Amino acid sequence: MQSCYEDLIILDVDAKDSEDVIRQVGQLLYKGGFVKDTYIDAVAAREKEFPTGLILQDIQIAMPHTAGVHVNTPAVCIAKLAHPVEFGHMGDPDTKVMAELIFMMAIKNPEAQIETLQKVMGVFTNAEAVQALKDAEDKETLFKVAQHYIG
Amino acid sequence: MAKSVKICCVCGSGTVSSSMVANKLTEKLAEYGYDVTTVECSPNSAETTLAAGGFSLMACVSPVYDDFGVPKVNAVGMLTGLSEDQVIADCLAILDKE
Repeated sequence: MQSCYEDLIILDVDAKDSEDVIRQVGQLLYKGGFVKDTYIDAVAAREKEFPTGLILQDIQIAMPHTAGVHVNTPAVCIAKLAHPVEFGHMGDPDTKVMAELIFMMAIKNPEAQIETLQKVMGVFTNAEAVQALKDAEDKETLFKVAQHYIG
Repeated sequence: MAKSVKICCVCGSGTVSSSMVANKLTEKLAEYGYDVTTVECSPNSAETTLAAGGFSLMACVSPVYDDFGVPKVNAVGMLTGLSEDQVIADCLAILDKE
């Protein structure tokens, strides 16, 4: 199942805070028709209540997402930030995450997209995949890496 | 024979991260002889979900502050891979006592 699209890959996102990240990156999903016009606000609101930052072995990331009702076509949008942006930690409200890489998830039905979810989680836990994402300096390379590991 | 257990996986949306963790938990605990059934929910719907009864533990990817009388395991380490073994050990400590 295809989850990564070249149009959903973006580098050097210059954002002032986590909501700005969500609004800028979410635009790609919206422009591509992957999500409804309610998606961005829903993700932004959810991020405030239930943050999605994670500290991985070699990188700090965030995986903003929301309920499937806001999604048209499942996809994973991958964004590299121009500079780290503070997100709340998913499991611990007292921990701050300085996210460099964003996996913005448009998931319609988790049971049907379990393979995509497993692959994204596989990237989180795979040092080699994280390194390849970190090393990718242009859109084409980042897309190839994303497609290789996530599909 | 594998022992059947029911685990409630909790995350903010009640879908995405909890599904990620549920699948991995089911796979890993099978290696220890547990046949795991998971139900995913959000912290807000945990009470309703747990009311169905029979849950051995809650695997939490988002913080759950309320006490529902079901033991909680912090399962974020499963998602990041940084303390996967610890999460499994915490689950086994609860399941093996049953």
